[in-house]
Amino acid sequence: MKNVSAEKKYMPEMPQKEIEELNSSVKATSAKIIADNIARMKKTDPNRPEGMKYFDEISNFFGQRPKEIQDAKIKGKKVIGYFCVFAPVELILAADAIPVRVNSGWYDTSKLGDRIVPVEVCPVIRSTIGAKMIGLSPYLELSDAVISTLTCDGMTKLSEILSDSKTIWTMTPPRVKDSPQSLQLWKEEIKTVKTQLEKITGNKITAKKLKEAIETMQKASKAFRRLQELRKGNTVLMGRDAMLVNQAALWDDIKRWTEKTEALCDELEMRIKDKAWACPPDTPRVIVTGTPMFWPDNWKLPTLIEEATPQGVLVGDEMCSSDRILYDPVGIDEWTMDDMINGIAERYLMASTCPCFTSKDGNEDRVNWLINKVKENKAQGVIYYVVRGCILYAMEYTRVKKALDKLGIPVYYLDTDYTREDVGQMKTRVEAFLEMLTARVDI
Amino acid sequence: MYESLAGALLGATAALGLALAGILVILIWKKDRTRKLSYLRFFIQVVSLVGIFYSFTLALWLSAFFLVIFAVTFFSGRFFCGWICPFGFYMDIVALVRQKLGIRYFSLPEKVNNSLNKLRYVIAAVILTAPLFLGALTINPASGIQALFLRGPFRPIDILLSPLEPLIVPFTGSIANLGFNGWSISYPYARDILTYISVPNVTLILIYVFIALTLISTFMFRRFWCRFCPTGISIAAANRFKALKWMPLLHINKEEEKCTKCGICKRVCPVQVTDVYEQKGGNIKTSLCLNCMRCVEMCPYEGCLKMNLANKTVFKSRNWLEPSNSE
Repeated sequence: MKNVSAEKKYMPEMPQKEIEELNSSVKATSAKIIADNIARMKKTDPNRPEGMKYFDEISNFFGQRPKEIQDAKIKGKKVIGYFCVFAPVELILAADAIPVRVNSGWYDTSKLGDRIVPVEVCPVIRSTIGAKMIGLSPYLELSDAVISTLTCDGMTKLSEILSDSKTIWTMTPPRVKDSPQSLQLWKEEIKTVKTQLEKITGNKITAKKLKEAIETMQKASKAFRRLQELRKGNTVLMGRDAMLVNQAALWDDIKRWTEKTEALCDELEMRIKDKAWACPPDTPRVIVTGTPMFWPDNWKLPTLIEEATPQGVLVGDEMCSSDRILYDPVGIDEWTMDDMINGIAERYLMASTCPCFTSKDGNEDRVNWLINKVKENKAQGVIYYVVRGCILYAMEYTRVKKALDKLGIPVYYLDTDYTREDVGQMKTRVEAFLEMLTARVDI
Repeated sequence: MYESLAGALLGATAALGLALAGILVILIWKKDRTRKLSYLRFFIQVVSLVGIFYSFTLALWLSAFFLVIFAVTFFSGRFFCGWICPFGFYMDIVALVRQKLGIRYFSLPEKVNNSLNKLRYVIAAVILTAPLFLGALTINPASGIQALFLRGPFRPIDILLSPLEPLIVPFTGSIANLGFNGWSISYPYARDILTYISVPNVTLILIYVFIALTLISTFMFRRFWCRFCPTGISIAAANRFKALKWMPLLHINKEEEKCTKCGICKRVCPVQVTDVYEQKGGNIKTSLCLNCMRCVEMCPYEGCLKMNLANKTVFKSRNWLEPSNSE
């Protein structure tokens, strides 16, 4: 565990007054955007499920959940933040700490990040830096340590920049997924995080606790997969709503989230029986893949798809911010400590479809995942969403397109930035694509 | 005469009925989907152990058993090894004890594992051909070979049947007397050591060493003997030659698109088969696979791994997080 150094290598010295001003203004905009997004989601689906109410509340970044975490912190619980879905949540839970994902989706803070890193850098990184500068993200501020997985170049440098003012634990994922030495490296990284967790929380991760944590996460995975299963048929839950539920798992208390999601699924099953569809069954079904999208600001594309004329519906995605979060369970053969650690290591490394891995060694996981999703969710088109500066996703486009072309599924490459200025232009592009899909349905 | 036959038939029917009832009870009672099949396998192993115990009382049954194994192996891969073999059952019990102690197994490096898989041919070849050479050395070759094959020290068929020798064989010829106040147990291959090396004390020590070695290796590596057991050659032959391709009817089948390469199948495999994980889909053909279906049972993706019997799916992987509706 590295101590936070006194000398700041990256962060600028900002006057306290400026920080406070920026914080309050961005917070005000953000609160407005959260309310606006939820209002628009309600408008799209007037008959929105009752179960969504809980998720609307929990998704308020300045509301109930940060307060809860604050209270738990006062009682002595530690909060561990993480950036990528690579972070072993089971271990955090077993150490009696609270896991929260701290990636930032604020547009405004990405401009602040420009003061430290060039504009060419991925906006997710810039936005997170900006959020740290003005102390905007409640979860990032509350976390005692942040697990940063050095997946892409941006993440690598981000952890360096943030270590100016936060305790950062880095995990190095190997770039070649399928080799014994990769797995060995990753296992060592997991073990290191385990000792770090034990040190910071003062709780020993015992086999019994870890088993409990794994079972908690398995239950969450079960609810998660049940929800994804319900999206395969005619739409009963709009894509944005499902995305919000998925993403709430990143910051909510996982047991409560599981309960609420199961309740939502029960309600949706009733609706399927009543044939109460959220949108006409012939609405073009779209799948999004590419750069992760984060609540609350970066809700641009799903909103555009579902509010466009002709309307489309998001039936699934291949993103580490939504459908990939809890999809894979940790499968344990023997409940011994070593085997559990191995199981966790393998689940987080091998089941990942992150483009940071090379596919030279025959690693077709991402394409396979997408094809399976397209087939099972009966999607008619795929939107390949990339933010400028997200090199890894942008570079994989050709390969994904070739694979989808074989199936005759149209793919549309949509690149954008963390800005609200191009919404009009994007709308035209999305609508043109949806119109094409509608025409294909008619034929 | 008829009465005794009727009695035997009645007994067999009762035994079969009890076994089936046991299977049914396990299927209903065991809710954990990742263990259901394992428990079922365990039960079948126990039942077959009892069956083999009784069949070993008759020398005639031995040869019948040999034929059955060969037929089963040719048509269903090493199904026998995974589900019936008493030595395999013994190794499973040792693994269970290790699990209860909270100790994890070790894994062999892939290369070693694969070369062990090839070693089984060498062992089998030596066992099957040695009598010919040894027979030629005797004065009267023809009768010598005959004697060696049927009664002599080299009884190849017997050796191939050795893993079948459960720890409680009543067949007097098979008992290795261990010298504890007349206590005697039978251990796979112990009898062969006894017949090959007839120096009293050395034999006994060798048997002890063999028992200790297999016990320790089984404790460290899951199903260690299965990785080079000569009895497991038949399926490999059926998969290797094109003319025999039709023979194996039982296959593990993989659907590539549903696989996320999470690596569970690779980790849970007791003999460290990597083909299920590495293969791009289709039927898995390796002589190492025991068809124990642990990977199919543990795979969390609906229909990704399947057990196909003559191209019909008999068992497929399911989302084991979800309790099924039919239960």
